[in-house]
Amino acid sequence: MTAPTNQASSTHEAVSQRVPLWRDAVVVKWMTQVTLLTLVLATLWFLASQAGDNLSARDIDIGFDFLERPPDIQLSEGIDTHPATGGRALWVGMVNTLRMAGAGIIFATLLGVVVGLSRLSNNWLIQRLGTIWVETLRNVPLLVQIIFYSSVLSTLPRVGLDTGPINGWLHISNKGLSIPRIFIADGFYQWAVVVLLGAIGARYVHKRRVHLHNETGANTSPILWALGTIVVFAIVGLFIHPAFSFIGPIMGAIAGLLDSLPVILPQVVLSAAAIFFAARWIRGFLADRRSAVGHLALSDDDYFRIIFAATAALIAVAILSMWSGFSSWLINSGTDLFEVIEDKFNADGAARPFDAMRPDIVKPGKFANYGTSGLTITIGFAAVFFGVVFYTSAFIGEIVRGGILAVPKGQIEAASAVGLSRAQSLRHIVLPQAFRIILPPLGNQYLNLTKNTSLAIAVGYSDIVQVGQTVYNQTGKTLPVVAIWMLFYLACSLTISVIVNYYNVRLKLVER
Amino acid sequence: MSEYGADTPTIGDVPRIVTPPVEPHLPPRQWLAKNLFPSKLNTLLTIVASLVILAIVRGLLGFIFNPIRQWNATAVNLRLMMTHAYPADQYVRVWVSVAVFLVLTSLSLVVWRVGFRILLRKLAKQVIAGGVFGLLVSVLAPFSTNATLIWLAVSAGVLAIGLGLLRAPEEATISSLTLVVGASSLAAASLWLIPYGRHSFVPDRTPRILAEPGTVAITTKLPWTIMLVIAVATYAVGRMLRDRIPTKQAQTVLLLTWFLAPLALIYLVLRDPDFDMAHVVSTDIPIFLVFAALGSATLFWLTRPDTGEIGRVIAMVILFLGFGSFLTPMRMVIRILLILLAMFSLAAPTFSGDRQTRRRYATTWTVVTLFLCWLITAINTPSTVDVPGEFFMGGFSLTLLVAFFTLIISFPLGVVLALARTSTMPVFRLLATTFIEFVRGIPLITILIFFSVMVPLFLPDGMDLPELTAVTIGYALFASAYLAENVRGGLQSVTRGQHEAAEAVGMTTSQKTVFIVLPQALRVAIPPLVGQVIATFKETSLLYIIGLYDLLFVAKALVPNQTEFMGSTRENLLFVSVIYWIIAYNLSKASQRLERRVGLGER
Repeated sequence: MTAPTNQASSTHEAVSQRVPLWRDAVVVKWMTQVTLLTLVLATLWFLASQAGDNLSARDIDIGFDFLERPPDIQLSEGIDTHPATGGRALWVGMVNTLRMAGAGIIFATLLGVVVGLSRLSNNWLIQRLGTIWVETLRNVPLLVQIIFYSSVLSTLPRVGLDTGPINGWLHISNKGLSIPRIFIADGFYQWAVVVLLGAIGARYVHKRRVHLHNETGANTSPILWALGTIVVFAIVGLFIHPAFSFIGPIMGAIAGLLDSLPVILPQVVLSAAAIFFAARWIRGFLADRRSAVGHLALSDDDYFRIIFAATAALIAVAILSMWSGFSSWLINSGTDLFEVIEDKFNADGAARPFDAMRPDIVKPGKFANYGTSGLTITIGFAAVFFGVVFYTSAFIGEIVRGGILAVPKGQIEAASAVGLSRAQSLRHIVLPQAFRIILPPLGNQYLNLTKNTSLAIAVGYSDIVQVGQTVYNQTGKTLPVVAIWMLFYLACSLTISVIVNYYNVRLKLVER
Repeated sequence: MSEYGADTPTIGDVPRIVTPPVEPHLPPRQWLAKNLFPSKLNTLLTIVASLVILAIVRGLLGFIFNPIRQWNATAVNLRLMMTHAYPADQYVRVWVSVAVFLVLTSLSLVVWRVGFRILLRKLAKQVIAGGVFGLLVSVLAPFSTNATLIWLAVSAGVLAIGLGLLRAPEEATISSLTLVVGASSLAAASLWLIPYGRHSFVPDRTPRILAEPGTVAITTKLPWTIMLVIAVATYAVGRMLRDRIPTKQAQTVLLLTWFLAPLALIYLVLRDPDFDMAHVVSTDIPIFLVFAALGSATLFWLTRPDTGEIGRVIAMVILFLGFGSFLTPMRMVIRILLILLAMFSLAAPTFSGDRQTRRRYATTWTVVTLFLCWLITAINTPSTVDVPGEFFMGGFSLTLLVAFFTLIISFPLGVVLALARTSTMPVFRLLATTFIEFVRGIPLITILIFFSVMVPLFLPDGMDLPELTAVTIGYALFASAYLAENVRGGLQSVTRGQHEAAEAVGMTTSQKTVFIVLPQALRVAIPPLVGQVIATFKETSLLYIIGLYDLLFVAKALVPNQTEFMGSTRENLLFVSVIYWIIAYNLSKASQRLERRVGLGER
């Protein structure tokens, strides 16, 4: 308020006098933020209440009970084409999405590396091919590509009872590709335990061989030895796996123990954990902010963080204590999980870990179709797969090329100076360094690929979006389905970024 | 050019052009030996690659020139794909819009002095490559004898021209614009001269595609020829006037026109609103006049450097008036203008200065008000163009429209989000981060389905949002999250010294952001921003899934269902891919050139 004057004496007064409240930077800052937060929350509340009014006016119920009810839909492919409940249908969609994303990521990476290397080739023709591949595919929308591949593939010959290049083994038609299927049978889980033991043994063998190499300098090929150990265990496991049926009863006992737990226990334990972690975080934070002489200076931002952490813990405790359903759900699902595992181990001694079936063609009505015994890759799957793999490979190719070009030329010159061949220098010098540059944008491409699989809806591949749309068209539960979509994709994105970040941190150059 | 830039050698004010070391020009045999057969492995690779290329080219030609291909489906339905159901008797409006775009393009070419010299020898190589490809096509494609001969003759002609050009003097160059004009003139002339196959609704599955006599419809070739003449004439006139007009001003005016032209074309030309003059004079114009006069007077006073606290109080009062106006029934225009005026008042201290600066601020307000009043009036006026369906545009024009609106909404939103995410205020950061990470974590299609299906549920009674508008908002929100990340990258590249220097000369935080940080940040962010523009353009194809009549929908769902062209999906899809490819490819090339031109990484 007071205008600063020229006189030294009153300057001192002006400083000691506090600024008025409405000019105080901290007050103005926090007032703005609280106002903004109020505005945002009010808008959200207004929209939610509108939605509530509209929903009740139209007599729409937004509960999640459709997950339990039979949906009366049929899916084109997946682990279960006639799902018993809405939740099961969505689960099939999720598995299909994950399947597509996993296959896409693997093949797009392989193809992308090839494309990136070919653009750096000495060979003029190969280099040109790589350039054309990249410039064509990344400039045409993915959706157009997917639909195009789908319409090209659907011109394949119609399926008949005796079609296929090798009838009874391999069929190619407008219904897709059908090959023999190898699937896991009843004895698989016992066998998996043997393989797990093999993996632990392999780790030990690997360590020993590396140690031996360090000691003697001999070429001990530790990775080959480790792989060999696993293979030996896997083969032996084929014969001895019934011996591991005893795991079943143990799991059953754990399930019984979990079932007898009181509901209050997880409530108490989780609340205590929430408070403990919040307190530990705040303590660590305060210790971090304290200077060497023990002076504590906190900005308002720091206060915000502390308050935020404390509030989050309190909210968690409140929810846990008021909503006992969550705790009983935790106990029940834990019990269910162990019961399911018990079931898996409950196979008779003669069960095989794997089984195989040859593809078949059935003709229930007028038109022939593939039966369920073969492994079928449908046209929809193939179209989306080619779409995302080709499209992403163009981007990955550019990333790989950029990463390799970013490796300093001196490294390659040094490699050839010490007598490494071109292939050796690529394998041991260039690629490891390029990988460090490539990884973050590569992770981004994996995220994009996973999200792009949602375009499967255009060609009728039963991914989560397509199944979800069918479900809400049947039941009218749009809001819950959209919420499930978003949660699912957020979870996928989070998982991928966590994995990529983990490797990113591990690969980081350790600098002085 | 920077004064201290060590990596940009300059002589006086003129940058010295640094040419890369010239590769020695090898005779053909040595070139082949070096680039195709340097080693045994490479020889094998070359052979395999040539076989692959041969197979691809042969397959593609077999597809394109297959007698059962229904290219007529694409040719006949060109208008459907471009503008969907826009009435034919009103089509001159479309041509006017195209002409305006071409005029703007020509003027921009003049003002920004786009274009470069191409070495004739380099051009000759391209022409020769074209000729060789033509020969390849005429040999490989399943033509009739007649067509093969024509193709052979034309390719040989092209090859001869290329070989002739190769004898040009070493240093001879040609302007790239001359080349473009020449090529498009040839294309326009060929519309009149060359029989491009018959375009009729009769499904004729004739095996001789190219030998088939026929002409391009007059409704196609006449307008395009006129368009070419207009574009060239504008360029010539602009070139003559170029040196008499101050470049800086011309660039500003042109940029503004580029921004306003689409809106004006859509709401004035294409939509042709049926203005109710009595209502306009009695209501709309008075509202504008009142707001323009009072608003500019207020702002002129608020921007005085010595206004002080009372200015903020007045701005807050206007803000409360603006939000309070929602409690009483009132025209939406007044509410919007009140809130906008409050924003302008709040920002006034940032733009305070001498008389001229203040006058400019007040004028900006008047122009914005005029524009908004006109736009809102035009949107609320019924259209005279009678088109079936919800919206009067469809096909490719809808694709462009959605891309344009997405970008102009998402750009400011993205900048605001980026600023909020890098802000020192935790609540801003939290909200912005949550929004950005949430939107980036989910696929676009779920957002679009949400906005197309669910928006009516969230609206108050009596309010109605067309599906297209809702979906465009969904697009804009999605794009803004990605734009925000690009802008944030730019913001982080602004060095600490810039911030400190701005603070040292006594700028407020907002002045620092607007005048110092953002201009530098946006300049760095140009390449990723253009990348986002291309991505947005490609993503407009998702309108197909929502069931709006965009280019892909017309090509995939409408044309192949016409009785004459049953199952012509692949032909149309190939055409759509080519359209998307041409635009996306050229945008990305243009962005690379722009990157080099503004000298990123040099300062």
